[in-house]
Amino acid sequence: MNMSEMTALMPILMLSLTAVVLMIQASIKRDQAVAWWITAAGLLLSLWGAGYARDFVQPVTVLLVVDDWGLFFTTLILMASLVTLILSKESFSPEGERKEEYYLLLVLSVLGAVILIQSSHMASLLLGMELMGVALYGMIAFPEKGELPLEAAIKYLVLSACASVMLLFGFALIYAATGDLTFAGIGAKAGEAYAREPVLLMAGSAMILAGLGFKLSVVPFHMWTPDVYQGAPTPVTGFLATVSKGAVFIALTRFFIEGQLYQYSSLIFALSAVAIASMLVGNWLALQQQNIKRLLAYSSIAHFGYLLLVLIALSMAIDADTNRLIGEAITYYLAAYIVTTLAAFTVVATLAGEDDSLSMIGAFDGLFWRNPLQASVLTVAMLSFAGIPLTAGFIGKFYLMTVAIQSQLWVLMGALVLGSAIAIYYYLRIIFAMSKIPPASIKLGSQGDINKGPRVEFGPQDLLAALLMLLVLLLGSWPQPFIAFAGSL
Amino acid sequence: MLEITLFYIAATIALVATVLAMTRANAIHALIYLIVSLLAVAVIFFLIGAPFAAALEIVIYAGAIMVLFVFVIMMLNLGEEGDARERGLLHPKIWAGPALLSLMLFSELLYMISTVDGPVSSGVVTAKEVGLALFGPYVLAVEIASMLLLAGLVGSYHLGRRYLEREE
Repeated sequence: MNMSEMTALMPILMLSLTAVVLMIQASIKRDQAVAWWITAAGLLLSLWGAGYARDFVQPVTVLLVVDDWGLFFTTLILMASLVTLILSKESFSPEGERKEEYYLLLVLSVLGAVILIQSSHMASLLLGMELMGVALYGMIAFPEKGELPLEAAIKYLVLSACASVMLLFGFALIYAATGDLTFAGIGAKAGEAYAREPVLLMAGSAMILAGLGFKLSVVPFHMWTPDVYQGAPTPVTGFLATVSKGAVFIALTRFFIEGQLYQYSSLIFALSAVAIASMLVGNWLALQQQNIKRLLAYSSIAHFGYLLLVLIALSMAIDADTNRLIGEAITYYLAAYIVTTLAAFTVVATLAGEDDSLSMIGAFDGLFWRNPLQASVLTVAMLSFAGIPLTAGFIGKFYLMTVAIQSQLWVLMGALVLGSAIAIYYYLRIIFAMSKIPPASIKLGSQGDINKGPRVEFGPQDLLAALLMLLVLLLGSWPQPFIAFAGSL
Repeated sequence: MLEITLFYIAATIALVATVLAMTRANAIHALIYLIVSLLAVAVIFFLIGAPFAAALEIVIYAGAIMVLFVFVIMMLNLGEEGDARERGLLHPKIWAGPALLSLMLFSELLYMISTVDGPVSSGVVTAKEVGLALFGPYVLAVEIASMLLLAGLVGSYHLGRRYLEREE
């Protein structure tokens, strides 16, 4: 590796450096405040590194590829990690001196996500996913109080292990068929291999899709999602929903495009079935949820169902224009999803913290009168999830519709419309709960309650929530600069 | 042809041992079958011309990791009851199955060593080649794996420590 390749790896190097510095700091003097600042500085340095590396885009060894698209998503997930870090500062305070370990795990998990985003080889795909996952098990089970985090971590661990096994077996089958482990190499040899060993190639690709589908929690691999979302500490849930899922989706897209999987009709058929099931089942099950974290879990299942539509459209793409549109749609939708999800989880983390009873929808009754700022942020987030104009989610949905129409995927578009229609009901239910006028008697009672009392002070979390809300509105009302930027990637 | 036959025998043993490992009610019995299964996989590695991977499979999986498992499980049933249980483990009914499967693998190895002149498979991957690949094009994978181990270590340390402190 030469100097220019090392420079291209700047974000990865900076994150690794942060992990090492955190280890050294913990061995000298354990102090969670110092560890927090080191992590924050490390993430900011990595952000700088992601910008700096843009002048050095190139494949680095066979394992990683550094390109503009990957660097943009690296920047995005580093920002999401910063949000998680800020939210984590006040969370699980009983851990006290032990929180350095949490920050170390956070940095390692982000490192795994960055590797996943930039992977161009099956080995780096698996290693990145495992690094992200193993650090996440620790983060989910981090709080000592209560059994929910431990239960969530066990569920996530066992099912992730199944997913990894599935993925590895898929890799082995594809390697047996093509004799190559790089995405591009598989793409180049897949045609010839398909003529010779169609079953091997199809079974292998299907297993890889299933393995990644577990991490994306698309139906029928979605069983773990609500329990893990509910059990994990709220900042970690936000991290799982944005960084983990986003990075896996990028890796899936890379493998799908470079491995040229879009040319096999049976695979596209399976993917369409998964996408439609995710859209309908995810939205349908969300209707019944009383816990906002579980509701967001089902809503994320539906959102990744919507996103799969874009991958399916690749099979129909005939000209370069459609391909560019599909690229923009992925970038825009994923960015909108990540920003909106972060806004929603910022509010849930601020208001409910780790108290499970406070994350019930009933606990949000009359929020507009108690905490207007957080209520507005949650309203904007819900509207954006539902795809109401002037929010980021609307432009995202608009992109998906355009892609679906251009590629003539009518069945999928029908499912998208139907799913969105169901979704409006439960998103609005939260907004209605928040806008209920609290009866005088309850109001008096809630003022005595410290948790539910009106918050007077303006903390960093409020600032963060306001910023994220502005970002959602900005992406939705003035999207041209971002669209132009996404088109240039 | 010889290679194929030997492969199928070893693969069958691996499958049988794994199924038995999954269906045993006693954890120790299951682990012993799992060791046999790993040994069978090592023989397969040997057959396809990867003696280094075969040795690693035995040293790391069948050796270090499995013995660790067995130790931990045996340490969990200490005391009189545990002693009686361990005496029961020496009964032939328990070790006859794994021993038979291992014997088949062993005779397969002996047969190969005695009759075959030169490598069974077409090519042989030596330890040197493995090292060159790991520290050449795949050096980043080695580094990432080290971070992966760090994550596992820190996570299990945090989870394990809370129980240690509770006991104190």
